[in-house]
Amino acid sequence: MSNIIEIKKLRKVYGDGVELVALDDVDLTIEEGEVLAIVGPSGSGKSTLLNMIGLLDTPSGGEIWLKGQNITKASPKERARLRNKELGFIFQYHHLLPEFTAVENVMMPLLIAGMDKKEARHRAITLLEEVGLGDRLNNRPNQLSGGQNQRVAVARALAGHPSIVIGDEPTGNLDSKSSDMIYELLRKLNREMNQTFILVTHDMDMAEKTDRILRLVDGRIVCEMRREGDEFVSRDICRAD
Amino acid sequence: MRLTYDLGCLIHHEVIPLFELFVAKKHLVSRRRQTLLVVGAVALAVAITILFRSLINGFETTLNEIIFQFVPHVTVLPEGSESYIHLYKTLIETIWEIPGVMAVSPALSTTASFAHDDHVENVVLRGVVPYELNMISKIGIDYMVAGDLDSIQNGRRVALDQGLADELEVNLGDTVQVSFPDARTMSLVVSGIFDTGGFSTNYAYVSMETARDFLGEGNVVTDVQIKLEDIYQADEVASELEARGYNAESWQSQSGIVETIESRRFTNTLIMLLVIVIASFGIANIMNLLVLEKTREIGMMMAMGAAPKSVRKIFLIESGILGLAGGLGGCLIGYLIASYVNSLAIAISSGPSFSVILTFIVDPWDILAFPLITLLLSVVAGVYPAHQASKLDPVIALRG
Repeated sequence: MSNIIEIKKLRKVYGDGVELVALDDVDLTIEEGEVLAIVGPSGSGKSTLLNMIGLLDTPSGGEIWLKGQNITKASPKERARLRNKELGFIFQYHHLLPEFTAVENVMMPLLIAGMDKKEARHRAITLLEEVGLGDRLNNRPNQLSGGQNQRVAVARALAGHPSIVIGDEPTGNLDSKSSDMIYELLRKLNREMNQTFILVTHDMDMAEKTDRILRLVDGRIVCEMRREGDEFVSRDICRAD
Repeated sequence: MRLTYDLGCLIHHEVIPLFELFVAKKHLVSRRRQTLLVVGAVALAVAITILFRSLINGFETTLNEIIFQFVPHVTVLPEGSESYIHLYKTLIETIWEIPGVMAVSPALSTTASFAHDDHVENVVLRGVVPYELNMISKIGIDYMVAGDLDSIQNGRRVALDQGLADELEVNLGDTVQVSFPDARTMSLVVSGIFDTGGFSTNYAYVSMETARDFLGEGNVVTDVQIKLEDIYQADEVASELEARGYNAESWQSQSGIVETIESRRFTNTLIMLLVIVIASFGIANIMNLLVLEKTREIGMMMAMGAAPKSVRKIFLIESGILGLAGGLGGCLIGYLIASYVNSLAIAISSGPSFSVILTFIVDPWDILAFPLITLLLSVVAGVYPAHQASKLDPVIALRG
């Protein structure tokens, strides 16, 4: 398998005056088709790392390579294009556009990409059927439950066939039943389409279902565990903290 | 096939961006009340401006019609310090040689005191030939309320204005005493009363002979009035007469009313435009609120790959639509009100034989210009909020 993401000595420092180091020389390689969980306490830099990978934020130092291309200093326009083409986002809060129906929300990344409206609609309907919302196509977010909205968000994240799907606490607002459903959905899509999933989560049950778990503390990866069969094996020394 | 695809791309992404239009339209429709409110404000400002301008147009047209019924197009006056034009027959022949001359009416005009019982009034007394006067101002044809104008040819008779008759309390057949220093006092019988609704106040007409007797003058006149086929030829005719050594004035140089109307129209249009500008900048306010309200969603659109340029376009399109809708709506409202009022044919009367119909004349250029003006203004108003939206950092925007 080839490396889809390579991160070299990535740094992010916030604030002027009192500096806050959010990411401290992080090195990370993510393989294509991998399902990766990033865990760690609040403020450990999980979301910052995710925003860097998602090209939403720019690093203070180090390099990010996406599919063999150094995108560290890409222009805002190029980053927007890459986000649209290569990345799908699922956030803790669904962030659906409230005026638009489920199907219109799923169409959005496709319309941004310049796809024909009819074609986009067709693809959006297929995706919504796949996430089990075939009968909710024309409902707006306020007419859907939390779990349903999050499933629409999943469909939207997958609409443009992204190579990487990023989830920032994608099930953080859901009960355990909806949460399991979302995870199973993601896993199924991963198996079918070999998409790479990078999930930030507090939920250790979910993390333990992934292929690899990274533990971040104070902007450093302190522990990396890789699945081998049903067991997680720690590769590096996992510092007790 | 390839060509049509490319053409489709051009339409969707360059001229009318599909995604941006899709979002903009949805924002406007889902915020129906705010949209209607701001469109309504712009429409109202535009409608009022259009109505005002068409009222001025109507007023001007009516006024021109009136002016050209009573006011001569060119007037020849005595030279310099002279009181009279002596060789006026030659002058009249010269005038008739000019192409486009429709009527020529010489007059011997003076001020006189009219007295009846205890009433005394200062009057402009003009000695005229009724037939010639009628060619200039149709007083004897359209504006007589009693008697007739031709009767002044029969000796010591006078036709006078209704207002003047009221002041003097005279009726047809009454006798007025006419006097003036250095003039021969005489009695004149009222043989005609006319009413032009204020355009001939204090005017009285007598025959040329009566006027000459009164002044004790010979074959002279004080002015010669000319009517032309084309009123805008007046300046040309006046200068031609000037070149031949006469003192001639065109209606343009005499009547300040045209300038007054024009400057009125200009200053008022300026004020109205300011109102439109203010209404259009209501759009800026709405847009600012919208950007604040939609911050998270803008962040999400950016995460989905919407470029800053796209985000900017969304808000520019929205304000543009608001402005254009306001402009078009205003034109429609203005036009409908104007048509309705015109259909009522409201008469504004001033005197029994004289009334003006309240008329709005909507200038077609206004219908074209105002939607363009409001479109332009609203896009300008949208520039700042749209720029703010496009500058949002998606990470911060998503946090809300």
